[in-house]
Amino acid sequence: MDTTAEGSTLVGQPPTGWPSDEIAALYAEHSRAIFYLTLRFLGDPQKAEDATHDVFLKAFRSLGNFRGDASARTWLYRIAINHCQNLNQSWHNRHVQTSADDAIWENAAAKTDSPLRVLETKELGQRIQNTLDSLSDEYRLLLLLVADEELSYDEIATLLDQTADAVRGKLHRARKTFAARFEQTA
Amino acid sequence: MKQHTKLSQEQQHTEPHQIKSQTGQEFAGAEELLRFDAAQTSVPPQIAQRLKHSAQNAAPAPRPWWKNLLGQ
Repeated sequence: MDTTAEGSTLVGQPPTGWPSDEIAALYAEHSRAIFYLTLRFLGDPQKAEDATHDVFLKAFRSLGNFRGDASARTWLYRIAINHCQNLNQSWHNRHVQTSADDAIWENAAAKTDSPLRVLETKELGQRIQNTLDSLSDEYRLLLLLVADEELSYDEIATLLDQTADAVRGKLHRARKTFAARFEQTA
Repeated sequence: MKQHTKLSQEQQHTEPHQIKSQTGQEFAGAEELLRFDAAQTSVPPQIAQRLKHSAQNAAPAPRPWWKNLLGQ
């Protein structure tokens, strides 16, 4: 019997619980990248969970319109960026603060890690978040996208509605600012 | 390796913005630190469960007529 990484599925049938192969495959391949972008862009694990769910649901609903002239990763990032920017501009987001759930931050460390390692991972994650929060949305998004090795400068430029040269120029300043602000969080 | 990755490394060599964590880990720059952070971040399993449930109840958009016409 053929199986998939998603678990014990016959050929021709979607993996267990998923309504289609396409959305299952998209989620398996890109969920970490999308969750990480939403987590660090929004700075709130609960909002990142909701946003990741909403991004993939939107993608599922519009699978028929995906033209394939961009990579699936770029297409999902486009949906995620629009979604996060809308959230940041919404009245609710500007007036209602949710409390970050420590359990989600702690889940970042592997279950086999020692308590010290869990603490170190949590502290480093918090420093990274504080540093990113101190940057403009533009620099934050730029650094998060450039950190994804699957994206080219041209794809990043398209996602940010800028030229590749402008992206390179801003990247230098974003790196410099990030390094300086990260030092300040020590 | 993609071109942009090479460019990133070249730029980081010529414009060092090295970052050191409190535990002594060194990173060549912001991107390397963020990649490390991303690798440490696990996706909460409840998202997949919620998504499966939501997607089962949400019909995907129909294929555009022009895709059917062009056979894409």
